[in-house]
This record gives sequence, C-alpha cells and structure tokens, in this order.
Amino acid sequence: MNKKILITGLGAISAAGNNAAETLASFRVAKRNAGQVTLFETPLRYPVFEVRGLPGEFYLEGQRTLGLALGAVDEAMKNARLNDLSDFRVGVCLGTTVASQLNDLEFYKSYRDTGSAAMDSVNRYLKGNPAEFISRRIKAKGPSLTVVNACSSGTDAIGAALSWLNNGLCDIAIAGGADEMNRIPLCGFGSLGIVSMDLCAPFDRDRKGLNLGEGAGVIILETKESAGKRGISSDLFLAGYGSSSDAYHLTAPHPEGTGLRTSIKKALTDAGITPGEICFVNAHGTATPDNDLVEGNVLADIFGTHLKMLSTKGFTGHTLGAAGGLEAVFTAAGLREGWIPASAGFENKDDAIPLIPLREKTNIIGRYALSTSLAFGGNNAAIVIGRL
Amino acid sequence: MNINGIGIVFTRGRGIDCFENALKDGWQRPDEIEIKGRKSFVYQVGPQTMSDKSLLKKMRRADKLSKMAVLAAADALENSGIENINKKTIGIITATAFGAHVTTFDFLNDILDYGEANVSPTTFSNSVHNAAASYISSALNIQGPTLTVTQFFFSFHSALQLAKAWLDEKRCDYVLVGAVEQYGDVLGYIYGSKLMQATDGRIKPFNFNPAYSVPSEGAVFFLVSNEDSENVFCKVEDITTRHSRESGNPAPIRTDLNIIDTDGLLIDESVYMSSFSPEIPTAAYSPIFGSMMIGSAFNCASGALMLKKQLYCANPVSDNPRVINVLDETKNSGIEFIRCIRYNCLNEQAVIQLRAK
Repeated sequence: MNKKILITGLGAISAAGNNAAETLASFRVAKRNAGQVTLFETPLRYPVFEVRGLPGEFYLEGQRTLGLALGAVDEAMKNARLNDLSDFRVGVCLGTTVASQLNDLEFYKSYRDTGSAAMDSVNRYLKGNPAEFISRRIKAKGPSLTVVNACSSGTDAIGAALSWLNNGLCDIAIAGGADEMNRIPLCGFGSLGIVSMDLCAPFDRDRKGLNLGEGAGVIILETKESAGKRGISSDLFLAGYGSSSDAYHLTAPHPEGTGLRTSIKKALTDAGITPGEICFVNAHGTATPDNDLVEGNVLADIFGTHLKMLSTKGFTGHTLGAAGGLEAVFTAAGLREGWIPASAGFENKDDAIPLIPLREKTNIIGRYALSTSLAFGGNNAAIVIGRL
Repeated sequence: MNINGIGIVFTRGRGIDCFENALKDGWQRPDEIEIKGRKSFVYQVGPQTMSDKSLLKKMRRADKLSKMAVLAAADALENSGIENINKKTIGIITATAFGAHVTTFDFLNDILDYGEANVSPTTFSNSVHNAAASYISSALNIQGPTLTVTQFFFSFHSALQLAKAWLDEKRCDYVLVGAVEQYGDVLGYIYGSKLMQATDGRIKPFNFNPAYSVPSEGAVFFLVSNEDSENVFCKVEDITTRHSRESGNPAPIRTDLNIIDTDGLLIDESVYMSSFSPEIPTAAYSPIFGSMMIGSAFNCASGALMLKKQLYCANPVSDNPRVINVLDETKNSGIEFIRCIRYNCLNEQAVIQLRAK
C-alpha cells in the first residue's frame, strides 16, 4: 500500500466557490452558480460556470488562467503551512488547455489583416506557461512541467508529480490544473455538438451535453520525510495513479471503455487495494451522451451497481485542464469531511447505465476514493486518494 | 535508461540514416520564403518527407504537426529492432513548445470568416495540444500512458526525465518520448519580431552575441527502456533541469564532448561560454536542423548517434570568432560520454548526460 506521499494542502477555485470552504458550502446546499458568458462578447448562449469575484490579488491582465492557478496555489500552500521553500526542492506540475495556446483573436486578426501586430499578447503567452509561472512566482527550485492532455490534464499532472516524488526528483510537489473560460473551447465544443443549452445533467437519461466552466484545483503532495521535517502531518495521501490510452479516436471514448478500465485497474494496483475498498468515485461525468454511457458502464463493471458515485461537474461545469485538479480536491475533501454532495443535475435513471449517481448529500465511510478523467485524444487517467 | 531506437523527421528528410548523412555532409542553405512582403530563411519539412501513405492513411484529417510526430514515433519503434513489443506496455510522452499553433490559427480563421457558431469541429479537434500524441497512440495502437507536455525551453528535458521515472517505477516497459514543432507564418513573424534572424541563412552557434536564428520544424522520437537490446544507441545517464548559478556549481561531469543548443532562440547566448572547458571540444548541430524550442531533442539524437557509431561529427558551421575548442573534424574515435547543454532565458541550465553502451 502506497502511503508515502501525503496530501498536505488543498486549494480550489471554481464557480462553486473561491476557496475550498465556499465550495463545500455550495455542495452542501446543492447551489449551482451557472449563467451566461460575461467575460467576453459572444453570440453563443450556452450556460457556463464562471468564477465570480476573483480576488483582486490574483487578477492578472490577460492571464486569467494564471490568476485562477495563483488563487488555488495560494490557498493550498496556506493550507499546507508551506511558507519558506528555501530548504526544499518544490516541483510544480499543472495541467491546462487554454494557457498552452497562442489564440488571441485580436493579435491574429491584426496580423492577418495588416501583416503586423502588437506583441503584448505574445509576450503574455511566452511568460504564461502555468507551471513555469507559478514556479517562478513562489521561487520554487524543483522541476516544473505543464501537462496538456486536454480534459485529463489535471489528473495526469498529479500523476506526473507522484512520479517525481517517487523518484526523488523533488520533496514537495504542487500539482493540479487551471483553465479559464475562453472563446476558443466555447466555439470548439459548440461545433462538436456536445454543449447543452440547459444546465448539464451528468448520467441522466435526458442529458444533452456539457456546460463549460473555469477554475483551478491544486493539491500539495509531499514525502513523509519532508512533512516530518516541516513538523506537519496529514490524514490524506495520494495512494495511486493509472493512465492508459484508448488508441481509438481523437474525440470519442472507446465504446468498451478499454483505456478507462485499464487506468482504473492500474490506479488500484498502484495503491495496492481492491475495488471493494473504494468508498466512492468522483466520476468524470461530463453529461455528454458518450462519456457518461461508457464511464457508467465501466464503473459498474469494476465496482458493482451499488457504488456511491457522483459527478461534480453539475457544480463547476467542465473546467477542462482544471477538472482533474478540482476533482482531486473535492475527492480528498469528501474523504476528510465524511460526506459527498448530490450529483447535481441528475433526475432520471438511464437504463443503458447500470449505476445511479447520488441524488442527495450522502455520508461516506471508508478510506479510499477514486477520481477519474477521460479526455480528447483517448487519454484516460485515474487517481486513488486515501485517508489514514 | 537506454535509447533503443530513434526516429527523425527534419528538413532534409526522414530517418536516422538520413540524419547521420546530414551530420556528415554539413550545412546546407535553408529555403528562402516571402510572407506578407517579408523575406526570410526557414528550414521546412517538405511534402516528399511526408509522403508515407500506409502509416498516414488513418489520419488524413490530421495536421502536419501530428503527421511529423507519427512518422518519427513509428520510425523510432522500428529502428529499435525490438520485435513483438506488447503495445500496452509502451508509454508516450510528447514534448512541444507551441503545439498545434498553425491549426489554432486556422480555427481563428474560421471564427473570423464564418462566425463563432459556424466553426469546423475537425479543425478544433486537431488544434488541441495532445492531438499529435493521440494520433501516435491510434496509428501505432499504443495503449500505455500517453502524455503531452509543454514548456518553452526545457520541454524535451522534462519529458525525458519523466520517461525515466515511468520506467524506474515500472509504469511501462518502454516509452516513446520525443518532441515536435511546426513552422507557420505567424510563428515566423514572431521570431522575426523578437529575435535576430540570420540574413544569410546561417545559424552561427559560436557567435553567441548576436545570436542568429533560422526558424524550422520537425520531430524526433526515442524509444527508451531499461532493456539492453541489440540496437541500443547509448545510455541516458542523467537529466537535470533548471540548474542555476544561484544553486551552486553542479557536480563535475565527465565528458568527451559538449553539445550546446545555441540556435539563436536566446538573443544573447553568451551564457553558454560558462559551460566550456578548454580541453573538451564543443559542437552545435543546430545549423543542420534549424532553430526550434525543441532543438535539444535533435542534439540529443546527434549525441546518441555519435556514441553508437563512435564517430565525432564536425560542426556544420566553422565560424568561431571566440576561438573556443570546437569540434572541427569528422573522425572515428573512442567516445564514452557526451553532455548536451541548454540554457533558458533566465540562464537556468538543463543537461542530458549520455554514455556509450
């Protein structure tokens, strides 16, 4: 059983709340903070989950993803009482989608129309690699890496950080993901026909697609030796990670969920536990017909039909590169708090899915929980979080 | 960790043999192109190199970035000579700095020309950073962990470091780890605006300041494992990233040759001079493949090839205004260690230490 890597801090910012405490309060009363896009002009009328009232100290002109990341990192570091990094090799591994792309429409339009364009947005982009930015901001001395694995980026970033720690490349790792509400994915996902005009309903019979969201979720991972040296302890640990590719299609999951199945089994093996020891699963649950059908069936196969399962995307929307980070925080918080929220948006059972997500806030008893991510490109990833 | 196989797609063609010939033949003048009234030199991968119909038939809608990556990855696998590898035991790590920026700008064209509600889903799907890795996975039926990582200077080093960690943790038995970058006119415009472009088409790696660049594109993949196969190029002894002067002097590393990543992507590359010692020869092969944020992967391939062949390849460009000890002769000779060095714009250093099998 892998209990070497502790989770000593949690930080989350999303439409559900500007920190973990606000998020749990929203979860408790099943509050869904969705609305129309306010961050930019668009004719698209999809409901989205934007972060409202980003604290001013985290506002960065033209770099919203970094601001969100900074907010979550700040909370996680305070939660971990991580102030002076000078004696530790601290790695930063963050997932994203939007911040990796130079996609400034005004810059490009100017270049296209006139053959020249101001370099402001290029300069922001070149200075805005999320992991590098955060690493420099907090003066970390360990490795930094930005993972761009589409919707599994956050989970895969946590997995990469686990590998760093297991291999002695750092003592502490700040891991998770961040993504902003942005015109490009809004148009792109819209063009794929998988965005709902209604509030999303993960695993529901009548689900019509996803809602986009934004946010950042970060966990502080730390070797026991490092935590001991800092004089802190934690009841949470990252027990395992598994990842596998479908080798099937650029945008659709494998119909049998082969990659997801393998990822979950690898994560369980990595953790040294059996499926029966998982007390709940925070599913990817985007509310697209394909994702939920495949994922629901795989989870039922592995864990049985009485599994306690939810998707938190009904509270946050699909936050893309941030999703794995946010859901890791929610999974860890659920284990620690001993309850998990209702799977927001679910009303009617889909007969093609042998699982029913939680309809109400539910107490949980157990020591392990799983969080899953499926992504464009056929990437699948899963992490197991444990509580001592 | 061993390098079992290498696949390369670059301006002069495809395959490690083609790359070896290029190293022996030396510098060739890049193409001169004109975009929006501006002339510049660029090393591009031509359509002949991309003409593999059997491998690419499953990915007709893919962009050039993904196709270059798939060709290089497939060649690395084949070049290893290892047969019957269980594809579930192979991981993929793809490093890139700018990703599918050409396709992203195509998508922006859609928005500007047709409106936000009328964009192409195919273009959007291919603009996602991990599309190239996904195509490698599906084209080669590889089902291990598949990751795409991005940084501007050290993405390949970070990918290689993680590949080693995966192997040591036994997350997989093999990793296809590599890097890919595509040239596009917008990137060319940005390079032209921010960097000193070589007006004669020659990158002069030992000029240091000013440093001249020639934008380029290509892909390199390595099949790495802890397996000691017949075709092993060399061992990867160590990979370090982000070493700064503030963190003290690095441990002395024995080396027979320093390969430096000077290619004009830093405005002033004088920092590299601090990594020389008079008795160790230095080489830089960027004039062969051009200026790329992922150029380290090409230099690593050069080092691996030289260790396998026990062949020192002379610098492709002989300009040496600082009169440093440069490798000026191609010759067969014993080589045990090669150190590949890159600096970023904060003067932090990354090193890949290679050792003969």
